Amino acid sequence: MKTSEELTELLDFIAEYATYLLGSGVHTSRVVRNACRIGASQGVEVHLTTFQRTTILTLREEGNPQVVTQVVNIPHLPISFERNSDLSSLSWEAVDRRLPLSVIREKYRQLIARPRMDPIFVLLVVGLANASFCRLFDGDWIASGIVFTSTLAGFAAKQQLLKAGVNHFIVFILSAFIASLCASMSLRFDCTAETAIATSVLYLVPGVPLINGVIDIVEGHILIGCSRLINALLLILCIAVGLSINLLLIKGSLL
Amino acid sequence: MIVADILFDGLFAAVAAVGFGAISDPPMRAFPYIAVLAAVGHALRYCLMTWAGIDISTATLCASLVIGLGSLWLGGRIYCPTTVLSIPALLPMVPGIYAYKTVFALIMLMQHTADPEVARHYMEAFLLNATVAFSVIFMLAVGSTIPIVLFSRRAFSLTRRRDYSES
Repeated sequence: MKTSEELTELLDFIAEYATYLLGSGVHTSRVVRNACRIGASQGVEVHLTTFQRTTILTLREEGNPQVVTQVVNIPHLPISFERNSDLSSLSWEAVDRRLPLSVIREKYRQLIARPRMDPIFVLLVVGLANASFCRLFDGDWIASGIVFTSTLAGFAAKQQLLKAGVNHFIVFILSAFIASLCASMSLRFDCTAETAIATSVLYLVPGVPLINGVIDIVEGHILIGCSRLINALLLILCIAVGLSINLLLIKGSLL
Repeated sequence: MIVADILFDGLFAAVAAVGFGAISDPPMRAFPYIAVLAAVGHALRYCLMTWAGIDISTATLCASLVIGLGSLWLGGRIYCPTTVLSIPALLPMVPGIYAYKTVFALIMLMQHTADPEVARHYMEAFLLNATVAFSVIFMLAVGSTIPIVLFSRRAFSLTRRRDYSES
């Protein structure tokens, strides 16, 4: 039977693990399953309920009168599918190899310390992606080239502003405005200007929270699913605001 | 010519998926699979809409089902959960142009509130585009979730390794 210190130590780790996953954009049912699996590897039951900003966890052990509960804040982290895969694998490894808590914690520290993708590389591929997006929507090559350039400008602005710690709503408005303003130069050329302006802001669309939100709702985590969707809608609204400022400036040329 | 159209559609979708996926920091080993899934899904939707005359939201449902099943099949090989492969592959199908047209119609509506005839035109455009955008996003998520619900045992153990000798 575990002492109350041991239970609390275990709870601290599982809380950190679960909130790290939630902060990295993993859908709720996977976080619950992974946390329960880590708990099972240590012989305890984990019960977890989560909201957009906080998570409540309870740990209990069969036959132990001690039950520990904690409310933890979910950190703001960039979305990371790599952390999602690695930390899910860790939970299976913990169960399959019956790893002790100290080893799991050590492996967890190593996994979250791994470097993320190079920002410059991300910037370039996002530019290429948005340019091909423009082609998918029947834009011509000139429009695609302009979209590539505007995406570089807008996404670089987003990266720098986020690094400077500016509020993310403001970042989305500014980034959408910069990208669509750059794309407005397509009006000067003989090309599919409207497609270029419309696609130039699409790299900002928060696809991951949108899809995660619906997945959560379908899987029965309706409350947090709606929170995710509302959050995503607010960001889309910010893109719309940034785009609208630009459209109001140039709408005479679009009609 | 038809084959070239389909191939180009798949190619551009693959580039778009890899690029937008890169924002969400997927593991490097997942990129080839993301590209293949995105190309197959988007090309399928293109074919269904162009030649079978199917509407955009039904075609999206078919495409996202294929992507969901594909990510379930391929995810186990590289120890990635289904969503790590399927979400980036779905991103090229997110209805950005319809969302843009919704916003544009809303702005123009607000500019013409005094003229009911023009305002009605923009109101219609707003409703039409908003409905399409919403139903496509819903279908994307539902289509990719159905395989997880159907084959939940497999979907939940994709990241489980069979032997741990390498680690």
